[in-house]
Amino acid sequence: MDEPILKVQNLDIFYKSFQAVKQVSFFVNAGEIFGLLGPNGAGKTSTLSAIEGLLKPQNGEIYVAGYNRKQHPLLASANIGVQLQATSFQPELSVSEIIELYAGIYGVDMPKEKLKEILINIKLEDAASKHFGQLSGGQQQRVSLVIAMIHNPPLVLLDEPTMGLDPQSRRQLWERIESMRNNGHAIVLTTHSMEEAEAVCDRIAIIDHGNIIAIDTPQALIDKHQNDAGVIAASRKGKITLEDVFIGLTGKDIRP
Amino acid sequence: MHTNIPSGKQVLTTLLKADFITQWRNRRSVVLVLLVPVIILISWKGLIKNFGGAFVIANCITIGLTAIGLMGYSNSIARDRDKGIFQRLRVAPVPSWSIMVSRLLVQLAMILLLTTAIYIAGHYFDNITLTPVSYLLGYFVSIVGGALYLGLGQAIVGRINNAETVNSTCRLVYFIFIMVGMFGDLGMLGNTIDQLVKWSPYGAVKHIIADAIEPGNWSMVTNTYLMVTIGYAIIFSYLGIKWFKWNSNK
Repeated sequence: MDEPILKVQNLDIFYKSFQAVKQVSFFVNAGEIFGLLGPNGAGKTSTLSAIEGLLKPQNGEIYVAGYNRKQHPLLASANIGVQLQATSFQPELSVSEIIELYAGIYGVDMPKEKLKEILINIKLEDAASKHFGQLSGGQQQRVSLVIAMIHNPPLVLLDEPTMGLDPQSRRQLWERIESMRNNGHAIVLTTHSMEEAEAVCDRIAIIDHGNIIAIDTPQALIDKHQNDAGVIAASRKGKITLEDVFIGLTGKDIRP
Repeated sequence: MHTNIPSGKQVLTTLLKADFITQWRNRRSVVLVLLVPVIILISWKGLIKNFGGAFVIANCITIGLTAIGLMGYSNSIARDRDKGIFQRLRVAPVPSWSIMVSRLLVQLAMILLLTTAIYIAGHYFDNITLTPVSYLLGYFVSIVGGALYLGLGQAIVGRINNAETVNSTCRLVYFIFIMVGMFGDLGMLGNTIDQLVKWSPYGAVKHIIADAIEPGNWSMVTNTYLMVTIGYAIIFSYLGIKWFKWNSNK
């Protein structure tokens, strides 16, 4: 079997004395959608930030496409496409200019014809000269996703990609994510939507208080935990869902 | 499917293009930065007889440099940090220094534009004409003085996370600098303030610009002012880099 595209080993992340991530390990293969689920403050974004290179973990190793994040930070970054939770681009730049900017910093040639093709593909050919802030939520997500994929990276990180989208835009985004998977990309996504995790993820990890407490396919997790007392207590409609398993494992308390 | 690191030249060129477009789209604030010193230059026509053209030009360039560092640069950095624009750039295979170098090169262009605008306005409105050497020396010390104010702006953005607070703090510091600087320099605030102003960032920058555009006045005292200016620039830049956080939420 090929080497995983992403390998995270024994990751520890501290904010001063608070440990946000504790000995987290997982891997993601090419052509796989991996979901990272957890309540607020569980350590999802910290884990993702470490993979992205935005924060340095105190312990552990991260390999992206075989490159060690610490030893080859730029090569690791070059092999990742990222859609941040609160993606923001320079508000003064138009959609075309933003795409050209990120093509340039990822070293991708972007002749006018290619740019036009991209804009047609994401159904934004009429919005090319609009500023990012003038786009709807769904349009913004499509631009963000195009930029994440502009250099055809083997690994794509999507931090809550469907947050705030209407059902149509969400479905459309799921199809785009699945098409990326079918093209051989490894995808890591974080989400609070169990429906989304069940619908698109091949495997998921549930993270809580900085620890991975479960990792498997959505159906395997349901099968494994469907008889747990906490999961049965969380069940609302008789049939055990991934959300019931999630609540059963992480508790009902609201996180700050 | 492996991708490679783009060349440093390509990254910097692309960032520069985007930063210059951003600056151009913000041309209203650019005009304001230029307009205030030009208006002062025109309104101070009467002072040229008493204090000389170099004094007036030096004051106006110093006011403009203060505006570039404290109103333009610091606010744009604070806003982009607040909006997560830097974080988005930093997840790309881009060395962090290149993001800042691109921003600073835009500000360098602003400093040269400001100095040129003051030279032109001085010539047309106040009949102040300098020698080619004076103009060139003036550009050089304007860059040195500009570095001081960019460093000060960086230190404020480094110390304060919230973009709104950065904005109000910079406005306050700008106001204090130009009011105390201008009136103190004219001797209107008494001897003690006059001495303080002379060695303040405002006074030091104003003196080196004034003596650079009248090279005959350059002396050991000017050298001291130049060293003080460079010292301020180094201290402010050091603090600005040390305190700076790329993410305002942390």
